[in-house]
Amino acid sequence: MIRRKLLAVFALTICISVATVAGLVLALTRGAFEKNEDARTAALLAQFQREFNRQGDEIVRRLQPIAASEQATRMATALDRSPSDAAGYFDLARSLAENYQLDFLEFVDGRGIIISSAQSPAKFGYPENAFDNLATADQQQAFLKREEIQDSTALGLFAVRSVGSADRKVYAIGGRRLDRNFLSALDLPADMRALIYQNRGDQFMADSLLDPSAGKATDAAHPPEKFAPLIDAVLRYKQEMTGVIQWSSNRAEDEIFHAIPLHGFAKSGQETDGQNKDGPLLGILLIGHSRQSYVELKSRIGASALLVGGGGIVLAILFSSWVAARVTRPVEQLARAAQEVAEGKWDTRVEARGNDELSQLAESFNRMTTELLEQKERLVQAERVAAWRELARRLAHELKNPLFPLQLTVENLMRARTQSPQQFDEMFHESSRTLLAEIANLKAIIGRFSEFSKMPHPRLQPVKLNDLLGGVAKLYQAQFEARGRPPIACKLELAEHLDPIMADPELLHRAISNLVLNAMDAMLNGGTVTLRSRSDYSKAIIEVTDTGSGLTRAECERIFTPYYTSKQHGTGLGLPIVQSVVSDHGGRITVQSQPGQGTTFVIELPRNIEPQSQSATVVGGAQNGS
Amino acid sequence: MKLFVWRCLAASSLLIAALAATAETRPQYGSTLRVAMHATPTSLDPADATQPDSFARRSLTMLTFDTLVTIDENGRLTSSLATSCQATEGNQHWQIRLRHGVKFHDGTPLTAEAVVASLRAANPSWKVSADGDSVIIELESADPELPAELALPRNAIVKRINGGQASGTGPFHVSDWQPGKKLILAAEEMYWRGRPFFDVIEIEMGKSERDQMIALESGRADLVELGAEQVHRVSLEGRRLASSSPVELLALVFAREVQSPDERLLRDALALSLDRGSIRSVLLQGAGQPAGGLLPTWISGYEFVFPVEADLPQARREREQAQNAAAWTLGYDSNDSLARLIAERITLNAKDAGLSLRLTPAATSDVRLMRIALTSVDPWIALANVAGAMGVAVTNRGGSVQGGSIEDLYAAEQAVLATQRVIPLVHLPASYAASPSLKNWTVRPDGSLNLADAWIGSGKP
Repeated sequence: MIRRKLLAVFALTICISVATVAGLVLALTRGAFEKNEDARTAALLAQFQREFNRQGDEIVRRLQPIAASEQATRMATALDRSPSDAAGYFDLARSLAENYQLDFLEFVDGRGIIISSAQSPAKFGYPENAFDNLATADQQQAFLKREEIQDSTALGLFAVRSVGSADRKVYAIGGRRLDRNFLSALDLPADMRALIYQNRGDQFMADSLLDPSAGKATDAAHPPEKFAPLIDAVLRYKQEMTGVIQWSSNRAEDEIFHAIPLHGFAKSGQETDGQNKDGPLLGILLIGHSRQSYVELKSRIGASALLVGGGGIVLAILFSSWVAARVTRPVEQLARAAQEVAEGKWDTRVEARGNDELSQLAESFNRMTTELLEQKERLVQAERVAAWRELARRLAHELKNPLFPLQLTVENLMRARTQSPQQFDEMFHESSRTLLAEIANLKAIIGRFSEFSKMPHPRLQPVKLNDLLGGVAKLYQAQFEARGRPPIACKLELAEHLDPIMADPELLHRAISNLVLNAMDAMLNGGTVTLRSRSDYSKAIIEVTDTGSGLTRAECERIFTPYYTSKQHGTGLGLPIVQSVVSDHGGRITVQSQPGQGTTFVIELPRNIEPQSQSATVVGGAQNGS
Repeated sequence: MKLFVWRCLAASSLLIAALAATAETRPQYGSTLRVAMHATPTSLDPADATQPDSFARRSLTMLTFDTLVTIDENGRLTSSLATSCQATEGNQHWQIRLRHGVKFHDGTPLTAEAVVASLRAANPSWKVSADGDSVIIELESADPELPAELALPRNAIVKRINGGQASGTGPFHVSDWQPGKKLILAAEEMYWRGRPFFDVIEIEMGKSERDQMIALESGRADLVELGAEQVHRVSLEGRRLASSSPVELLALVFAREVQSPDERLLRDALALSLDRGSIRSVLLQGAGQPAGGLLPTWISGYEFVFPVEADLPQARREREQAQNAAAWTLGYDSNDSLARLIAERITLNAKDAGLSLRLTPAATSDVRLMRIALTSVDPWIALANVAGAMGVAVTNRGGSVQGGSIEDLYAAEQAVLATQRVIPLVHLPASYAASPSLKNWTVRPDGSLNLADAWIGSGKP
């Protein structure tokens, strides 16, 4: 038991240790990954900003020669002279945009009215609504701007430059689309990707997501709708957010996305670095990291923890078995020795090695058993002396009674010889009879003592207790129903399946007969004698119960003492003989009784006995005794 | 002596210069004319209804075939293969006398029977018969416009030979024909009007306007088509160009009848929102005329009475009156860049009025931007042609299909417009640009090219 507990404690300790270490490692790993992700996100964001600025510079670099071109200058001059002649230039933006490889190019007048538009040629005459005052945007760096194209909108990097030097200003607004090519220009690590969401309203729209990887075979596994909660949150709170996109039930396919709001040009015309947070939220940059490496590492750590844990448990079992065996063996030896002592083997000793507490305990145990043995010897010696004394007392008592009449008779004979010789003969004959009678009495007394001392050893053979009890009941049936005395009923309560035991049937018969006779003596007014048989795991049990006068507690304690009797004419050897028989069979006899409520003698016999194997143990006491 | 020599030299120089100048202005036989066009006809048969009508096809037809009657440069009917057209019985019975001595390209003479066969193929509903050297046409109802009908290219006289080949009586015969790609015509030596000046005309088909201009500028083509929006720029570049009167209607045509009062209001709102002036002045670069009616003024004489100005407040009011305004799809020819631009402008105008139009290059749409070439200078024929393109029949107040006074014509056109199946936008001319060496070429009123009397000169104007 203690070994199992020790084992469990060891295993639990190791498991908790491994789990704690694994958890700690996982937490540290997660922290390291998050830190790494933050660093890489910051690096990518910086790269995005650099690319943003580079593209912006490129747009400015292309827009400046457009603004300074002969065609544009001629247009500005012509419109300065005659503003209504704009119709002839409606296609100018398209041709210049083609020449300078710009996706977007518009010429607008000082009021913001479109003169020519490359991206929406039909939009001439309509106002360009992105600016309150174009003069403030002139000569600034490139900025984000949403461009409405037929049936859709596009996100682009734009710059504004004034054309010519005429009084009536004309501005060139040129730009390039912020599209997959832009994202493809970013130098991304293998497990990272960048997407751009074009904000076209307050709700997520799947077709507004620019994904450079779109069109690949994995598209079906990455539906853009998965971004909806993250995008909607950024649109709602207009701040940077992070979310995990779960593409499937496989956690290794998850991606962490950092959503960074992209603001456009503020109409108020503040100086911008391309990202004016007062401007409208035009798009969201999504930087995604694959969690595959993290999940794989986590999985490896988990597997390692399991392996270490499993190995630890095995080692714990082996180690704890060894330790427990080392620790518990002396304890178990002590427990076994204590059990043996309890069973009567007073000379039991345990091995005491070393100098630890368990060795001290073993030495103490050995000392205890030694002292117990010595005390037992002393007790036996005392009991033996007491028994001799009792025997001497009984002998003296028994012999004194016939000796006293013998002495008187002999003295009477001597007196009669001297005082009345004529009566001597008569006296002699009478005294001889008395002397003979007392001598016979003495012989009888000596015979009973002789008989008690000559109890034979049991000769064991299979005995069916139920048959034995039935035989006893049958033997005394006539006496139970004898005339001149109140009737006594005899009940047999026998176990149905009671295996035979090894016993001496004659001795057992004699013992049970003694108990039945005792019961009959206790029921002078009649009653019931019950003979029971039963068994448990290791014992066969016989009970003899009467409904007689019962015994006091003191009587119960002394009732098996030889020559003790509560009867007027008892010898006090009946029950000791019963006890002797039971003891010779390796069993024990107890008595349960209360005055006026009958007595029960319980005989417990081993189911498989070995001759001379056990000495009988006598336990006596009243049922309600303490 | 010296003086004499100098005088002789001067006189010789003047003589040579005068001869050279005379040679430049005088027609010259020979040479090859190279034409590029956008259309890709796969059949040259004028009566083949499967081929879409276009100015290019009309030009090809008139190069290889002749009609009984033709239209001169002033839009007047003149005789061609027919020497006379006489009507009796209230314009229901017509007798057409044929010109003598005309031969098909295969050498067979033009006969009344051949003409009857040709007209029957083009007009199955007509009752046509031969009467000696005349052709008799008996109509189910009176049609005073029959001569104009006969002047249509589709009624050109064709002799169909076994195997599907069509032989005509035109100034050129087919030398090589790669359907949809290339056509080489050779001068017909025995053409009844006299041999044309060109020996050969090579026609490249399926060329975009841009490619045509490049071909013209690089000298690989002598004559190309011009988009209306190109006319202004090409004229500024000093190139030689020619345009017809407006003979093409650019219009929005709805795919179905008006289904509800709301839809009527919405269609009206759309018509009122259109800024035709901007379309013409900017997108068409001043070419064409804003159209409020189906027929241009030069044909009908009254088109100016139809409003063409946008009325955005009224358009918005009518839009607001409509309870249900579904978004319409606006179809256009994806091969026509001008159509795309105009369609985009229309969506912007419509948006101003609160209407939603979504562009689609698909063949089916709620409303479509269409180019409808007017087939004839005759107003009734032209009106029937335009109305027919949108599935609307034209009748005059007397109940007849064609013919009638200008009031009848106006009423008939007004009736077509009242169906709200069509919103006219612009009337466009057919325009062409040519190299300076191409001389004496003209554009007929129906938009087709007249090259019968053209020749290649030295390049000087």
